[in-house]
Amino acid sequence: MIEVKAVEKKFGRKKILKGVSFTANKGEITCLIGINGVGKTTILNAIMALTPFNKGQILIDGEPINKNSFEKITFIPDTITMLPHMKIAEAMEFMDDFYTCWNQERATELLGFFRLDPNDRIASLSKGNAAKVNLLLGLALDVDYVLMDEPFSGIDMFSREDIANVFTSHLIENRGVIITTHEVGDIEHLIDKVVLLDEGKVTKEFSAEEERENEGKSVIDVMREVYQR
Amino acid sequence: MKNYLKLVNFEFNRIAKLFAVLLGVTFVIQIVGVIVQSRYYLSMANELIYEGMLSKVKFLENYGHMSLSQIVISMWFLVPILLCVAAVGFYIFLIWYRDWVGKNTFIYRLLMLPTTRLNIFFAKITTILIMTLGLVASQLIMLPIETLVMKSIVPKEFIMDITLNQIVISMPELRFIFPNSPIELVIFYGAGVLAVSIVFTAILMERSFKWRGIFAGLIYSAVAVGLTILPLLLNVIVFNGFFYTIELFVLEIIMGLLVLAGSILTCRFLLMKKITV
Repeated sequence: MIEVKAVEKKFGRKKILKGVSFTANKGEITCLIGINGVGKTTILNAIMALTPFNKGQILIDGEPINKNSFEKITFIPDTITMLPHMKIAEAMEFMDDFYTCWNQERATELLGFFRLDPNDRIASLSKGNAAKVNLLLGLALDVDYVLMDEPFSGIDMFSREDIANVFTSHLIENRGVIITTHEVGDIEHLIDKVVLLDEGKVTKEFSAEEERENEGKSVIDVMREVYQR
Repeated sequence: MKNYLKLVNFEFNRIAKLFAVLLGVTFVIQIVGVIVQSRYYLSMANELIYEGMLSKVKFLENYGHMSLSQIVISMWFLVPILLCVAAVGFYIFLIWYRDWVGKNTFIYRLLMLPTTRLNIFFAKITTILIMTLGLVASQLIMLPIETLVMKSIVPKEFIMDITLNQIVISMPELRFIFPNSPIELVIFYGAGVLAVSIVFTAILMERSFKWRGIFAGLIYSAVAVGLTILPLLLNVIVFNGFFYTIELFVLEIIMGLLVLAGSILTCRFLLMKKITV
């Protein structure tokens, strides 16, 4: 389980996160939703120790993040994390070199799934294909938790569909996923848990299925209620 | 250790092409310099001996023999060497900043590797050291080749045979790059590693705290340099030359190691706790 406990973060004098707490379980898709600048990416960065936070605690399976955690959790940011001159195949080799949890079979399967050419250079990829390579590099790791930052941001409809298909495939099964997205519609039916953020705080945390069954409301309905009040 | 070596290999491969270009440029400029200087000497000799009716002995008495030591003090040699020094100096900064800037933020990948983050620091400082030693070694290999080129242009009786060591000694401005003894090598390159570690610490401070980090980095650098030369300052200002040279040397080594350890620990802390992508 990933536990985010009362995390506070300031940028200069501005407090971005004001005691954010939530949990994300293995085998569940947790969606962090909030308007731009609310601190969604900062939370993911903080979980991966890519940015420090001022107060609070973040635990992964009961432990603070350490070098071994990176064989257990991966982060797929919305920016390319490989060098532009590298071919996709070279990026895969790099991952294979450093991660014992790299699953080459799954990587090859993902290449086919996303229809990517391993000889293409990272710099030559379209935004959609770059996002797919990012996903490939993250999902080919046999890790328990996957964090995804805006995987649908700024990419075409067909690439979005390809990426959304990942969520219904065995590639995600049994993993804990935390995803931030504006395009909730693409994966709304797949989300297990929703964490709504506003003004640096968690305003509502709910099970998408329970909300649908008990209140008859979709995630988008709840978002409208919270953000358009 | 394995991950450290993999990172060193990866970091060096990133600069390998530029490194090769740098070596190529240095070699070409120096060879052109050897040819130009040798021809100049030869044409002067021809002019004075065959047209000015000066005897070979008189010419050699007045103008001396041709040797590579005359060429290595010219701009043909100094400029490419200084270019290499400047390139390494520039790369000390670029080796970090290139991971943050642009569309491809490789720093995410580096910081998420399942290895201690200090390995990133060690891999980068090792790459700088390999670059420097590689350039020096290549220069030492180039010198005999350049001697051969000179000998192919200037007749034997006008050439003074000198050893590689004599050629190196004739470049006093570059004594820090080409040490004369193993002790000098340890001192000069030890000081170099220390300086690079201080700069790396300052860079990581800037990367961690942004604008405030620039000031912190500058203050850290000043304090680190101050501490390193503290024994020398105290010996002159407070103790009026009380210490023997060997004692001062040992004190300097100790202070250098302490500052190096301080830089490494600070970098470890920054990479683990404060760095931001």
